[in-house]
Parts: sequence; structure tokens; C-alpha cells
Amino acid sequence: MRWLGAVLAIAGNTWRDAIRSKVLYALLFFALLLIATSATLATLSYVERERILQDVSLGAIRFFGAAIAIFVGVGLVHREVDRRTIFTILSKPVDRSAFIAGKYVGLVATLWALLAVMAGCFVAASLLAGAPLASGHAIALMLIAVELAVVVAFATLFSSFSTPFLAGCYSLGIYLVGHLTRDLYAIGKTSASPAAREFTLWVKRLLPDLEAFNRTIEAVHGLPIPPAEVGWSLAMGVAWIVGFLLVAVMTFERRDFR
Amino acid sequence: MERDTIIRVSGLVKDFRPGFGLRKKRVLHGIDFEVKRGELFGFIGPNGAGKTTTMKILMGLIRATQGEARILGHDVRETAFREHIGFAPESPYFYDFLTGAEILDFYARLCAVPRARRAERVREVLAWVGLAHAADMRLRTYSKGMLQRIGIAQAIVHDPSVVFLDEPMSGLDPVGRKEIRDLVVKLNSEGKTIFMNTHILADVETVCDRVAIIVQGRIAYQGELGGALPAGERAFDVTFSALSPELAEQAEARFEAVLSGRGDRITLRIADKHLSELVQGALTHGAAIEEIVPVGVGLEALFLDAVSGKLRGDAR
Repeated sequence: MRWLGAVLAIAGNTWRDAIRSKVLYALLFFALLLIATSATLATLSYVERERILQDVSLGAIRFFGAAIAIFVGVGLVHREVDRRTIFTILSKPVDRSAFIAGKYVGLVATLWALLAVMAGCFVAASLLAGAPLASGHAIALMLIAVELAVVVAFATLFSSFSTPFLAGCYSLGIYLVGHLTRDLYAIGKTSASPAAREFTLWVKRLLPDLEAFNRTIEAVHGLPIPPAEVGWSLAMGVAWIVGFLLVAVMTFERRDFR
Repeated sequence: MERDTIIRVSGLVKDFRPGFGLRKKRVLHGIDFEVKRGELFGFIGPNGAGKTTTMKILMGLIRATQGEARILGHDVRETAFREHIGFAPESPYFYDFLTGAEILDFYARLCAVPRARRAERVREVLAWVGLAHAADMRLRTYSKGMLQRIGIAQAIVHDPSVVFLDEPMSGLDPVGRKEIRDLVVKLNSEGKTIFMNTHILADVETVCDRVAIIVQGRIAYQGELGGALPAGERAFDVTFSALSPELAEQAEARFEAVLSGRGDRITLRIADKHLSELVQGALTHGAAIEEIVPVGVGLEALFLDAVSGKLRGDAR
């Protein structure tokens, strides 16, 4: 109970700190602007205007959501060390694991609140444009929420031992490669080189497959999304989050705060 | 009866690697000291001596390379016992978007102070450090002295029995220093054991019971501040008025006293074994005694001796 109490206290404080970030509001503004103007973009096409609107909007939500997750996430732990606020926190009966978990939960809660704002804007734009809305859209948005939670988990890991700049580089790298692991694996399988096949196999095994959380095409085109696949994506997302956070805690436990 | 040992440090060693691939540098060379229950203990040393490193090991912020540090019988690497200790770091920074009451509520939650008790405890502590009027002000509007006081407030919000203060008077003006010094004495008088890191000797001399002096990662001295000299070697400065110059000269010669004087006031520094004889003699000859001040070993002298290497672990 004490551990949970500390996590919730730190999460609440992280929320209050994160919602003051100007970068966060700038990115949110551009995301909302892109969603709002996607209706105008859609008018440039003679066909499938509603689908273009929803495709651009969901893409904007994913891109800006990940950008906020990385921008804010990479400084999550480092800022506390740099400002020395961590001294007063860790000198209290607070486990380092509770600190990492609290920071993580606080930022994920912030991101999910922003996601709710962006999703609201997406729904409003779709209704105004007369674009259909179905359960596929809700599933796509839910999986974006899980993807953002995974992105925050690896950003937190890098933030637990690195500077914001390096953590940002690592996180961006993982995010980009994470969206390409399927393609890399497919290319590797067709390669004549055993080394290339082995390499792409290990990339697939070691890095999160972030495309598993991308159901935009199915949602926009009204295609069915098998519940088993959604369940698998959720389970994989939770496993990656737990894995990244465990490594973050193990790294953080060994750190000296000089 | 000997008081309980609250803090016990033995053979503490800490190595730091200054950078990737560089050789390790030893900053603590096996230090030992103890702090007893209810003491106000001063941990002093020049800059870079290892004071803050020791404090951070005690707070679990850095890990010792070798040796042992225990507080209230617990290894400092444990977490749960920290509900019994408080820590105010040097030049504390807090979340400046919070108010004084909000920051204390946050720390009280971290220490699992029950929800029903929290608001009341926050009010009590704010009043205790003299910040009741600033409870709803954002910390970004606080002065340095107020931040130092909120630093002490967060250290005691959960009512710990041991309080660690890292340079609590650092960077404050004389008024701020006195306010913090008074708070430290008040804390100690309420029965809390205080461990204070500082390099301001005057403050240590005023408030501390015992000190340890650390120089280049080694304890050069630890002992009590009062009575630093054994009986028979103590001296007193006795100030007389209306003591005739002839009598003063006699006293100087007979008791090997050190004479200094200004106007009709004369001060003699005299060994304790001659004190009563001199005082009686002076009174018989019509002199008046203005004051008698015991001469201890000044902390500054002790500190300078420690830094220059004349002292090495002389625990008295």
C-alpha cells in the first residue's frame, strides 16, 4: 500500500508538472490544427474525402502523440536529477521503483488526457464532414493509447540513465525502427544472406513491433479487426511496457546521485 | 549510562570514476564516527572534503564502495526506516509551481502520513517554521530564506526522530542564518537528533554538542566542543576593573598569567588551578571582577589544525 501511495503521489505531481510544458501545448496545437484542416485537405480530392480526412487525422494523432511522448518522456527522470528534487524524494521512504513507476504513470495519464482531446477533435471533424464513425475507430484510438504507453516506457528507460538529448536520439531511433521491424523482417526473409536473415530476425525479437498498434487502415476503410489480434497487440504492449520499466528500474537502482 | 547510538559509520569508503575510462578517485578513505541520541552533531570540513558525499551515502542517494553506515540500526540502503529520518538538502529546489502547503502535502503523502492527519500536520509544520502566512503562495515567490525553511519543513513533516541538514545556513543573510539556527536548536530541544553538515564554524560552535572534522576524505577530529581540554589544563579569562597596575604585574609574574588591558579594565588569562587564589587576592585589594570566561579550544583553531594535518582522528 505504501508503495502504491508513493506511486500515486509522484504520478499526481508529474501530471501537474507535465501539463505546464509549453512544448506539449505547441505540439497539441499543431495536432489539433492538422485535424481541423484535414477537412480542407480532403476537399482537394474528388473521391474518398471522408477517408482522407480520417486517415490524416489519425496519422496526426499518432505522430504528435509520439512526439509529445518522446519530448516530455526523455526529460522525465533527468529533470528531477538535474533540479535535485530527487534528493528530497528518495530520502523519504520511497523505493526507486516507485519513483520510476510514478513518473511513468503520471506522464501516461497526461498523454492519454491529450489523446482524449485529440480524439474529441477527430470525432467532431468526422461528424462535421459526415464521415462514418464505427467501433474500428475506437479500437484504432485505443491501440494508439497503448502505443503511446510503450513509447513513454522506452523514453523513461533512456531517461533513467542518459541526458535528454541522447535519450531523445535513442527513443526516436527505437520509434522509427519499431515501425519498420515487420518490413525489415520480410526483407530479411527473402535475403540470400544468412547474416541478414539472422539480423532482421533479432531486430524483430529485440525491438517492439509498433505497427501492431496501427489499425488506421482498417478503421478508415471499415474493415473488420479480429478481436484476437487486438488482444495480442494489447498483451504485447503490456509485456513491452513491463520489460522496459523493469530495465529502467534496474538501471536506476544502481545510479549514484552526486 | 551511555546514550543509544543513532548513526554509526564504520570504514566507509567511496570511489568515484570522474569520467568514462578514467581511473577511480577515492573520496572517502574509511571514515568512522558515531552520533548519539539527542545530539546536535556538526559534520564539518573544507570544500571537497567529503561532507556531502557522506551525507548522500547516509541518505541512500549514493552507494558506498566499502564499509557500513547504519541509522537507527538499519542499513542505509534500506528504504522503509526512512519514515524515521528527515533530510533537508543544501540550497533546496522544489516544484515551484506548488504552494507551500501543496509541497508539504506531497512529501507527507510520500511518507504515508494518514490522509485524516495530513492537512493538520501541514498547518502545524508551516506554523512551526514560521511560514503559516505563506501557505498558499507559490514557491517561485519565496525568498531564499523561506525556501530554506520550507526545506526544513519538508524534512520534519512526518515527525522523524533524526534530521539531516546539509549546509542549512548556506547563502543566507545574517537574519536568515539566525532564523535557521534558532529552528535547528528548537528541533534539537524537542528531542530530535540532528546531523548537520556545514562549513560555517560560528554556527557549529554556537549550537553543536559534538563535531567531526573531515579533511580529504578522512576524519581528522571528532569530539565534544565544550571541555575540549582536560581538567588541570583549562584556562580562564578574568576581567577586572580597579585592579592596580602593580597588582596586575605581580599576578602576571606569579601566576604566569597573560595580561591585556584597556583603560581601567585588565584581563588576565590564567590556569584554572590559580583561579580561586587570584580572585580572592584581587577582591582583598579592592578590585572588582567584571567577568570570568572559560577558555576552550576554539573550533576555528581546531579546524585549522585539522586542515593543516596536525590532528589525525583525535577523538576525545
